[in-house]
Amino acid sequence: MTRFFAALAGLCLAGAASAASPLADEPLDPGKAFRPHARLVAGEPSATGSERHGIDVEYRIEPGYYLYRGRLRFEVSPPTLLIGPPELPPGTEIEDEFVGKSAIFRDRVTIHLPFVVSVAKPGRYRVKITAQGCAEGRICYAAFPQELEVNIPPGYRVTDGASPPVHRGLPR
Amino acid sequence: MKGWLPLAGIGLLAALAGTSLFLAGRHAAPPVIESGPVDATPAAIQAAAFADADGTPRTLAQFSGKVVVVNFWATWCTPCREEMPGFVKLQSRWQARGVQFVGLAQDDAAKVAAFGRELGINYPLWLGGAEVMTLSRRLGNRLGVLPHTVLLDPQGRVVESRIGIYQEEALEARLAAITGR
Repeated sequence: MTRFFAALAGLCLAGAASAASPLADEPLDPGKAFRPHARLVAGEPSATGSERHGIDVEYRIEPGYYLYRGRLRFEVSPPTLLIGPPELPPGTEIEDEFVGKSAIFRDRVTIHLPFVVSVAKPGRYRVKITAQGCAEGRICYAAFPQELEVNIPPGYRVTDGASPPVHRGLPR
Repeated sequence: MKGWLPLAGIGLLAALAGTSLFLAGRHAAPPVIESGPVDATPAAIQAAAFADADGTPRTLAQFSGKVVVVNFWATWCTPCREEMPGFVKLQSRWQARGVQFVGLAQDDAAKVAAFGRELGINYPLWLGGAEVMTLSRRLGNRLGVLPHTVLLDPQGRVVESRIGIYQEEALEARLAAITGR
């Protein structure tokens, strides 16, 4: 019984100290609140039966934080690897009396960056992301940059023929 | 048996104290987010260039001699908009006592203008490019987040840099302390 009350008192005092501490609830650095990972998608089946080729960017978002769907921007460097418009899930719609409707992502989301050429030159590429998000009811992060690396191995080739190859140079 | 009674009493008292503090904490002002160092002189702050809704160039130098409340915000930032009605009230109450609010945003001019009208903002909302957040960071916004509010004394020196929502009551108390009124 004594131990029970002592433990209870300890827990309550710890809780009180945590509630009273001014820095107990420091917002996370955006790199920790919004953690992106990039993965090469090579010939995986899509919902329509065709093959998917591109880069999947998966975001893991901490509880209490969200990303704005409409404010994500992607760029691949060097730009010799061409990507099409990002394929974003619809997200959760929120309504704001001033901004109107917008969509946000919480928890986890995967964004697909499709290759628009049928052959991707092997090499290391950097995916440059610009994102905006908020810690619910406290602060919002002004546009912040993030960078990921993707490696396209030698021999990688898109084979589904869904995207016609882009011919460069003078016509034969 | 008797030995545990005082301890039980202490435990219960601690539990009550902890619970009441925890509940008070939940309903009190949000915890203060520590700001970073200020890396801008009054001259640099007053030289930073912005534009008003009409595109006219503006600088904070025009408010020299006043206590200036510089609020970094954005139309898409919900917490920013939560605190702004309080700023409107404070601007009305403190204008005659030499206090001037200014909103600085890196945002769409049309959206800012519409927002100002809809919310009845009674202080200037100025716009800028990336230099808005650069100045915010130099004024102690070590996290690069919004809202961020900076209080300048009549000489343009930084008196306070507050990251996160600045509640009306707390800000009013600060203004009273700075102006001595």
